[in-house]
Amino acid sequence: MTKAIEIENFSYAYPDGTIALSDVNLGVEHGEKIALIGPNGAGKSTLLLVMAGFVRGTGKVKIDGLEVNRANLRSIRACLGACLENPEDQLFMPTLFDDVAFGPLNMGLSHEEISKRVADALQTVGLPGMGDKAPHHLSAGQKRAAAIATVLSMDPKIITLDEPDGSLDPRNRNNLVRLLKRLSQTLVIATCNMNFAAALADRAVLVNKGRVVAEGDAGKIMRDLQLMVEHGLEVPGIHFS
Amino acid sequence: MHMANELLSLPVAAGTFAIATAGLGLICRKAGRIISTDKLALMGILGAFVFAGQMVNFQLPGMPGTSGHMVGAVLLTIVLGPHLAAIVMSSVVIVQCLIFQDGGLLALGCNIINMALVPCYIGYFLYRAFTAGRASSLRVYVGTMLACLVSIEAGAILVPVQAALAGVLAVPFSTFLITMVGVHLLVGFVEGMITVAVLGYMRQVRPDIIVDSLPGGARLSRSAVLGTLAAFAIITGAGLSLLASDLPDGLEWSYAERPDQPGFEPAVANADSTIAAVDRFQSKYSPLPDYSVRTSQFGELPHEAAEVSTGWTSFAGVLGSAITMALIWLTARILRKKRSSVA
Amino acid sequence: MHHAHIDKFAYQDSPVHRLDSRVKLVVVLVFTAVVVSLPRTSLSILACYAVGPFAILVWAGIPLRFTFKQILLVSPFVLVLALSCPLYDRTPAAVAFGPFSWRLTLGWMRCFAILAKFIVTMLALIALVSTTRFSDLLAGLQKLGLPRVLVIQLGFLYRYIFVLIDRAQHILRARAGRKLRNLGLKAELKIAGAMLGSLFIRSIDTAEHIDTAMQARGFDGKWRTLAKLRIRTADCVFASAAAAFIFTLYFFLKPLLQ
Repeated sequence: MTKAIEIENFSYAYPDGTIALSDVNLGVEHGEKIALIGPNGAGKSTLLLVMAGFVRGTGKVKIDGLEVNRANLRSIRACLGACLENPEDQLFMPTLFDDVAFGPLNMGLSHEEISKRVADALQTVGLPGMGDKAPHHLSAGQKRAAAIATVLSMDPKIITLDEPDGSLDPRNRNNLVRLLKRLSQTLVIATCNMNFAAALADRAVLVNKGRVVAEGDAGKIMRDLQLMVEHGLEVPGIHFS
Repeated sequence: MHMANELLSLPVAAGTFAIATAGLGLICRKAGRIISTDKLALMGILGAFVFAGQMVNFQLPGMPGTSGHMVGAVLLTIVLGPHLAAIVMSSVVIVQCLIFQDGGLLALGCNIINMALVPCYIGYFLYRAFTAGRASSLRVYVGTMLACLVSIEAGAILVPVQAALAGVLAVPFSTFLITMVGVHLLVGFVEGMITVAVLGYMRQVRPDIIVDSLPGGARLSRSAVLGTLAAFAIITGAGLSLLASDLPDGLEWSYAERPDQPGFEPAVANADSTIAAVDRFQSKYSPLPDYSVRTSQFGELPHEAAEVSTGWTSFAGVLGSAITMALIWLTARILRKKRSSVA
Repeated sequence: MHHAHIDKFAYQDSPVHRLDSRVKLVVVLVFTAVVVSLPRTSLSILACYAVGPFAILVWAGIPLRFTFKQILLVSPFVLVLALSCPLYDRTPAAVAFGPFSWRLTLGWMRCFAILAKFIVTMLALIALVSTTRFSDLLAGLQKLGLPRVLVIQLGFLYRYIFVLIDRAQHILRARAGRKLRNLGLKAELKIAGAMLGSLFIRSIDTAEHIDTAMQARGFDGKWRTLAKLRIRTADCVFASAAAAFIFTLYFFLKPLLQ
């Protein structure tokens, strides 16, 4: 069976020569929930952009068995939904409905199917019937949920999330954890909040300075005090459900 | 300088609306061909930037309590080119009307012409004229300053022209024109300074953004600022003294107060006759002619009785409207109270 | 002044809010055109015309305080020009109004007419925009033939005004916290230039992120939208009622009030 994500010997340098990722190897199984942990500037966001086909370097990247290249881009993007770091960037349409419908519309679905998908996605993220709202009338937690709905409506197999817990208060963060746990999709979550990662992930991948430093069982890696401190992270404290 | 509905007549509003629609339609068709998909989000954001940028104000020297802010047309036209900038500025004007209620619905055509189309194209071509070929820092500076001054002036001059064509205002055309030109000389000057400052900052921090659209550098050096200030002062001073010699200050003078002044009456007679001519033209050709104007000179009406009865009907009209509005308001209030008490 | 919730009333619900945006837009446009073409000297007919938008505002549950504050906010330019009329047009006129009569100049009549027309047309415009979501207005405008590029542009613009105004306010606060006196023109300009420059650069970055988000959701340059507008019976009833109101006043009441 093919893996959800397969990255082999991938390297990438910015146009100015700074190395962003070097010799990354990573495999993600279907249905796994992976935490991509690491300090600021470690290369987590870049790695997520690599998966979505926005950054191309040397090495091999396969999404659901499909190699990432220009010809496959359409299929890749239907299969992998990328949630950006800032919901303000993700929600760019005048109303929530238009935003959640944007992906399905581009997939060329029928209008009934689109309306159904939008309703389902909004229901899943806990914003039922809010399609007529404008994004600037939503709270921070609602914006985050809405951003997830915009990729859910495309019914992808894999969802990548870049710091989804950013600037959320504990209650909203808890709601987000519950929402993400309910999803059946393969999740790749980049975060530097260890409590958040520990509450969600089966497996953790520690990234620093563009390299995969450690990977394995989430509990095992995140409880390794020396490893975590060495890479500017911390050991998770209270586990919340 | 948002044009309002009430300063326009229907033919002028319709005419400017038609011109703006045709112009914008042409530009959109042209832009549809040259636009790349990644420009869509950029244009939208830069429109929003114009709004946000207008909030960033700064103190003007020598005028405590007043502050200047950016208009943005020239900055956009330098970064995006005239077609896209015109679309962005038009959308800004439309949103100002439809969300912030700045400028009337009928005046939208005027406002698009005055604040979007004219400034973007004039600004672009002036800037280009100065920086084409080799663009030194001085050329960019002078080009930007001139582009801002002239493009804003051009838009401002159109306001009194449109108002005079409509003939609603009693202010003589020349007075209105001089006031607008004077005020917008300052606005344009501030716009030029701030645009140069922004270009200078961007060149320092992110040269990649403007590297292909902005050759050469714009810098706000001390000598440049002083030089512009001096030139501005001389031009303003010379202009004002020239104007002052044959035209008194617009807001202070009036017909009844200074009937003795020589060189004054012709100006008024002139302006009045143009307006009267436009009026005649209008009442002849407008679909809904403004026919009551000439019969309204109450002072000359011999029929005292007719006038009184007019007074009573209009009194009834106003009173009736006021009562109706009060009733509507009260009914709504009672209904709402009832509904909230039920719920 | 222009806070992020200026359009919050558009998101309420009422029979007026549910009307088709195209119908409302056309009605307001016709209303404005008729009001603007009214004679300069007759103020009473303007009071009658005010009843229409007033009724709609009340029916839709828009607070009158908000309405009048909004009118006041956008009035300065018109106010100055209207108030300059009495200075130039001093033709005397006798005005009779019910039991009262007094002498005025035509300039004052013009001034009052301009201000009254301003208030009435503003009432109509506010009745339109505070009962219609901007997205619906956009969909309506597109159906009425607004070029697609402009529709897309307006959509993005509307979405990001509030985001960028927030950012601008943060930057302004950051300056206010550190700048304690007037620094002179050059420094002031330099600071404002840097503030605007950084706002500009962040805007461009945001645009790049949005572009990424669009592509990630399969955007290929073809803009697709779902049309949701439909003209219903209520819209037809409203349009006929509005037309009846506007033209009854124009053809029957106006001659009476002359």
